[in-house]
Amino acid sequence: MRVLTVDDSRTILAMLHHTLSNAGFEVLQAEDGQKGLDVLKNESVDVVITDINMPVMDGIEFIKNVRASGMHNSLPILILTTETSQDKRDQGRAAGGTGWIVKPFDPEKLISVIHRVVH
Amino acid sequence: MSDLDDFKATYFDECSELLLELEEQFAAIEEGDRSSDRLNAVFRAIHSIKGGGGAFGFQGLVGFAHAYETLLDHVRDGRVELSEPVAALCIRANDIVADFVAAAKDGTELEAGYGAEEKHQFDALTSGDPDMAGEPMEEFDIDFVPVMVTIAGAEDDDVVAEEPLSLAVLDDAFEAPPLALEAGHWIIRFTPHSELYARANDPLLLLRELGTLGDIKVRAVLDEIPALADFEPFGVYCSWEITLSSDTVTEAAIAEVFEFVEGNCDLEITRREAPVAEAALDAQIEAMPSFAELMADVTEPVAAIAEVEAAPTAELLSFADLAESLKPALKAAPPLMPPPLKQAAPAEEFEGENDRRSGAEDRRNGVQSIRVDLDKIDRVVNMVGELVITQSMLTQQMDETLRARYQELVRGLEVLAQTTRGLQDSVMAIRAQPVKTVFSRMPRLVRELATKTGKKIRLETIGENTEIDKTIIEQLSDPLTHMIRNSADHGIESPEKRLAAGKNESGAIRLSAEQAGGNILIAVEDDGGGINRERVLQVARDRGVVGPEQALSDEQIDQLIFAPGFSTASEVSDISGRGVGMDVVLSNIKKIGGSVHVKSWTGKGTRMTLRLPLTLAVLDVMLVKVAGSPYVIPLSSIVETIQCARANFSRMPTGGQVLQVRGEYVQVVDLASRFEMTTEVERDNRFVVLCEAEGGVKVAVIVDDIIGQQQVVIKSLEENFQSIEGIAGGTILGDGNVALIVDVQGLKSATAAHKSAA
Repeated sequence: MRVLTVDDSRTILAMLHHTLSNAGFEVLQAEDGQKGLDVLKNESVDVVITDINMPVMDGIEFIKNVRASGMHNSLPILILTTETSQDKRDQGRAAGGTGWIVKPFDPEKLISVIHRVVH
Repeated sequence: MSDLDDFKATYFDECSELLLELEEQFAAIEEGDRSSDRLNAVFRAIHSIKGGGGAFGFQGLVGFAHAYETLLDHVRDGRVELSEPVAALCIRANDIVADFVAAAKDGTELEAGYGAEEKHQFDALTSGDPDMAGEPMEEFDIDFVPVMVTIAGAEDDDVVAEEPLSLAVLDDAFEAPPLALEAGHWIIRFTPHSELYARANDPLLLLRELGTLGDIKVRAVLDEIPALADFEPFGVYCSWEITLSSDTVTEAAIAEVFEFVEGNCDLEITRREAPVAEAALDAQIEAMPSFAELMADVTEPVAAIAEVEAAPTAELLSFADLAESLKPALKAAPPLMPPPLKQAAPAEEFEGENDRRSGAEDRRNGVQSIRVDLDKIDRVVNMVGELVITQSMLTQQMDETLRARYQELVRGLEVLAQTTRGLQDSVMAIRAQPVKTVFSRMPRLVRELATKTGKKIRLETIGENTEIDKTIIEQLSDPLTHMIRNSADHGIESPEKRLAAGKNESGAIRLSAEQAGGNILIAVEDDGGGINRERVLQVARDRGVVGPEQALSDEQIDQLIFAPGFSTASEVSDISGRGVGMDVVLSNIKKIGGSVHVKSWTGKGTRMTLRLPLTLAVLDVMLVKVAGSPYVIPLSSIVETIQCARANFSRMPTGGQVLQVRGEYVQVVDLASRFEMTTEVERDNRFVVLCEAEGGVKVAVIVDDIIGQQQVVIKSLEENFQSIEGIAGGTILGDGNVALIVDVQGLKSATAAHKSAA
């Protein structure tokens, strides 16, 4: 199973990579929404995990673009969020996000959330 | 746990970059650039620091960053105006964040309540906003994050909100013995809206997850399915009624299964305790296959969906499974397409594309830069240094006879020499960084100094893209800070004084960097009053640094500000006078192989110049011999060499000796007598190495013999032995001998001290 992780924080990318690859996922990375879109142009992935606050293209725009492309209607997209307020999460969902993961994430929780949206 | 340590290292790396970014952004913001790009960048930086900090449980850091972030969020969308005081508060907050990060990195504790006042101010600034007001910080400190959802229409909101909805809790619940003898029954009516599918949620997955909570029976509700003629391809017609039997499951746990689709479906969760109703329901359900059966029974695909199932993606298979669960209904109903079928065509196309391209994956993910541990680069640098030395040693071993006999070898050695040089340059380039990393901290310093001193000061920076070895850059921050403090404190005059002197009311400090040959020159220049030489000389005489009769040139007086313990500030000021003088700058710079020169113009300003080597690792030197021992003199300080027989020495009335070179008198230092050795080489056969110390002051160093030029890897004398005046370090030569590196500047000043003491 392949996961695309999109986050501008190297720390978060590294932790996701560690957790996911330990769980047997193949992990692709992108540092912002634009780069995430570039990856999706060329790669097929089973699930996307994306941060919201990113430079160049933020997570909301990224999700909107993914959905608007028409190519990835059934691609589950999980929103990574530290927001305690629900604002960002709701915006992410409205843009087409499938679910969310709250940072800081517990490795088991992360995997279980992924399994909630992917076969 | 080493993984965690790795992540932490990454995190702290990232933090220092983000903190630097904050400095840069605020420097621009202070200049009046309040564009949303800047504010967003600041917000993201703090957000990232907080996010990573949360992962490692740095609670103090996270707490503070959270409050700060909230303020930034308000500033960003205009709810709080970025006035001068707010900007000042932010700049202070950046410092506090940096302190928290540093404390987390070192594993030290900050004093209790550190940053509390600022945090209080953040809260005060943002408290007008109902969204964020009083948002409890503790919410963020929870290690395991269960706060995910409150359920609309839940019967008991309080319980739901407080119940940690984590799987761990559910697992515990499964292990616990049944509380009630009779099983609890839940009826769940689930009607997806089309948005649910648009967001790539999959009813089958939700049903599967429900199945983990207890025994479930699923009934597809197909009442809404229209006749084929009225069938909309993207229409959603199906809903489900699920009976969940479990002793322990709570409504909150059920709702959690549907949390991702909240608002995108109609969901009714009702508890059925009454056995009567249950019996009726059971009868109704009896006719239906269980969910588990449905899941297992995939051997006979219905004709209508066979095509779908044949499609290769996991996605489509899943929907085939889903359709399969509808089989009993489908048999009765007219052939229908399950809503997700709309994805079939594009998904196939996508898959095909992927097949063509999958091999190019790595190339496509194109890596433009990599991060390498500095230690690894240092190892390479050191090895390249040793290689350079071996190469130069090999070249030296080639005498004329060998050259004539082995011409191929000579050619090979020449190529080796070139390649080694190229390799060395390339490796050095890896470690080079723009001085911007240090310069960018200075605008902020100048602003603070201006505020504290009540002066008006602006800072100009020039050449901030000049590159220099990273290890040197790291050592630059303190000296530069001190020099700028000095300029602001002692150099720039008060606005009144400046106006009286016919100058612009606000003073300027110019910070510049440029490469000059094998050196980097960094200058701090101010347009202040210049060094008060009378006062400097007075203080120097009072402290015995200069003898009462000794006459000094203006240049020599200026240089006195670097004498140990020297400070002209009449009272210890809050800024420069922290018990250290400019001598600290000098010793720091010397430590990295550089030198400091000061030049002052009375009434017009002062310029302090740092001359730094491009790299610390390798030095071009002249190898000389004194009393049988090898010494090396940095090539960068050598002006010329002269045979003693041809040199024009004059004896001073004081007994000292000077060398006359092109009409200039130069002080003579005999290395042999300076280091208390005796040489048997006759005076006329010895050599003068004319060196230039800082500020263009020359010194004639007398040695027994000149062997030649080469490169050496510098080894610190302090680390391996002890510091010696006049010696900058040591090195190991190609033949294994140790040679000392002559410190021309030190030689000169040490001799001056000798003289004044005499």
